Amino acid sequence: MLTVPTNRRAFLAAAAGGALGGLLPASLLHAQPNNGKTLTIVLPSNPITIDPINQLNHDAMVLGQTVFENLVEYDVDGVLKPQLAKALPVISADKKTYTFDLRDDVTFHNGKKMTAEDVKYSFDYLLDPANKAARRSLFTRITKVTVLDPLKVQFDLSEPYGPWLYFLTKYMGIYPAGSRKEHGDDYFKSRPAGVGTGFGIFEEWKPNDYISFKKNPNYWRKGLPHWDRLVVKMIPEDATRVAYLLTGQVDLISAPPPREFNRLKTMPGITGASRPTLGGALLMYTNNLKAPFDDVNFRKAVSAAIDRKTIGEKVYYGLLDPSSVPAPARGWWFNAEADKELGFDLDKAKALLAKSKYATGAEFDLSIQAEPYLLDTKDAAIFVQAQLAKIGIKVNLKVYEFSVLIQQAIRGEHQAALQVFMSPGEPSYIMQVCLTPEQVLSKSTGYNNPEFNQTLAAAFAETEEAKLKEAYGKLQALAARDAPLGVLGYVHASNLWRQTVQDVKVNQGLTIAPGEIKV
Amino acid sequence: MLRLVAGRIVSSIGTLLFVGLALFALTRSGPGSPARIVLGADATAEQIVQFEQAHGLDRPFLSQYAAWLGDVVRGDFGKSFVTGRNVATDIVSALPVTLSIVLFAFAIALVCGVGIGVLAALRPGGAFDRVSRFAAVLGLSIPAFWLGIVLIRFLAVDLRLLPPGGYFPLSAGLSLHLQSILMPSLSLAVYYIAVLARMTQASLQETLRGDYVRTARAMGLSSRQVVFYALVNALPPVINLAALSFGYMFGWALIIEQVFNIPGLSRALLNAISQRDFLLLQGIVFLFTAIFVFANLGADLINRVLDPRQRAAA
Repeated sequence: MLTVPTNRRAFLAAAAGGALGGLLPASLLHAQPNNGKTLTIVLPSNPITIDPINQLNHDAMVLGQTVFENLVEYDVDGVLKPQLAKALPVISADKKTYTFDLRDDVTFHNGKKMTAEDVKYSFDYLLDPANKAARRSLFTRITKVTVLDPLKVQFDLSEPYGPWLYFLTKYMGIYPAGSRKEHGDDYFKSRPAGVGTGFGIFEEWKPNDYISFKKNPNYWRKGLPHWDRLVVKMIPEDATRVAYLLTGQVDLISAPPPREFNRLKTMPGITGASRPTLGGALLMYTNNLKAPFDDVNFRKAVSAAIDRKTIGEKVYYGLLDPSSVPAPARGWWFNAEADKELGFDLDKAKALLAKSKYATGAEFDLSIQAEPYLLDTKDAAIFVQAQLAKIGIKVNLKVYEFSVLIQQAIRGEHQAALQVFMSPGEPSYIMQVCLTPEQVLSKSTGYNNPEFNQTLAAAFAETEEAKLKEAYGKLQALAARDAPLGVLGYVHASNLWRQTVQDVKVNQGLTIAPGEIKV
Repeated sequence: MLRLVAGRIVSSIGTLLFVGLALFALTRSGPGSPARIVLGADATAEQIVQFEQAHGLDRPFLSQYAAWLGDVVRGDFGKSFVTGRNVATDIVSALPVTLSIVLFAFAIALVCGVGIGVLAALRPGGAFDRVSRFAAVLGLSIPAFWLGIVLIRFLAVDLRLLPPGGYFPLSAGLSLHLQSILMPSLSLAVYYIAVLARMTQASLQETLRGDYVRTARAMGLSSRQVVFYALVNALPPVINLAALSFGYMFGWALIIEQVFNIPGLSRALLNAISQRDFLLLQGIVFLFTAIFVFANLGADLINRVLDPRQRAAA
């Protein structure tokens, strides 16, 4: 028979014992919270929107890409593949008309069948300046979208511009005709239920905690996804993110700390992988309009004085692939000769400096970002500072928050600034944005070379890989000749996951791709 | 007494208004526009201007402040132009999380701090006194975030006794709730246990040296009664310090919530700072200021009740 303690001491002792007893068994629940078919993944940052036309943060793009899809997909391996279209588009001889045949088995999460009208509506909405889509400028060469029949849609461009297809996965999505007006923009931003075609249906957003999706039972790729529920948690603190993985609270984390990555991926029950991104570059914006970067020999001396291989191997533990030109070493368009011209050679650096206006040495401010994104650039900055000191260049490190640093680069107020710049991974993007006029980051370098601009415009009209490789190779050669932009290398995307999940593929575009992961 | 209380409340409101103005000025004087965060690194200058016009960020500073204050008085903290969510709703959903951690930490700090202080004061120079002095130095020196990470490492990763982070509300069950707030509250409390223990010990020792204590002992009062009366008289500085500590804990929760991945107000504040979410930032700091001001007001009022001299002056 249960007896209730009547004196004070016995009661307190029983209460304390009961509380502890209640605490411990329940804590064991935490060891296996992932039973059932829930896939829990973790982001290192806090997203502000799910709306595909306003995506900024490449980690958070997993949210938009779970709900929304596009005509074509730039996939985890960096291959352009049809998605909602049956095949890649038919492109006219003048390269200004793109025609897509749509799949006939796609339905939105609200049960409505997807048709060409929805595609037209989605693009018309994106292109209307009144709707202020963050990446509208990437698509403004599209002049008209025409519905040819319910499953055929045609895009007319003002001039040849091949890269737009590569930007769709990151910056666009197809939603039902009329849905923006019906629901409003805030709906797409924070609770887009029923308006996508993707493998996950929006369920809940708990601010600063998690966002969840449930399986789309009518997904057109039969058998996918393999989970019933996807939970995307936000954990900014590195150590906590790792602790969540080690204790089985979550299945997969992105952006593990580089210093710990190799040790963690061999721990019991844990595995991991990394691969170089095609568009995530560690850039040093050198302002060509300001001394001492107004001298080409000085710029080339700086480039030749930096040992990128050591930075990649020792500073970032193999999570940065060295490159001195705006192309990743593993990209099909990489120009190795151009890379060599700007590569590490201390004697060459000294000779180039001697030929420059600043033969007796120089001093400049290097702006760096306070909060790490993918890599902590402060580590590389200190290394660069030490290396440039060897040839008589003094570097003053100035630390700024991201929003301040990027503003400096946009306005051209800096001398030099170091930043990881994540782009869609399409070959021309970084070259266009940083090295041609009237782009957002034009003033980050101040470079304007008609030959470069014309070569890039010609590349936009090409669709054959061999010819594109030649054009991009020439652009890199010009970048090697003039050294307008400092490039240190391309970052790796890396993930760690528990061995209970399978078929994880690290995405060259950084964003986690949860659609095919098995729980 | 009533007049005095009314006076203190009025001055507290004055403090809040002043802090509100300073806060408004500070948030807007920092470099970096929320437009850049919302529209991205490669947004055009034209897009930035449009954004600032649409959200009233181009209006004169005082006009923005007056409009904001008017709304706050009506209980409307506005709608975040970064996340699009209602600021008041965000605050209301995150406040209980932070409150439960801070209140639990405060209770731990108060009980342990005052308890250790009293025991140490009763036997000055004794073994407990010496151990508690050493422990206090340790408690004052250990950074809360480091302690948090160490606790996660041992209690969560190695021993699997507690979850490594996250938050379970009371509605999920008392056990889960306590598990989720135990490590964060403990990390937060350790510094204040040390501070309160030292203050209680010093204040009680001082009081125990008083003439009236000697008289009380001479009159034959039991040791327990003497210590009780001395403690009541030793409490006012401890209460003042506890009130300040309660306010400061909301500040330290900033780091603790980050380390333990707790979706509370402090975490929201940190995000608001990095995302230049002015309205959310102002709302949360304003609330923290109010808590701080009213905690001090509460301490003053308790002291007036405890201290007959202050009662008489009132």
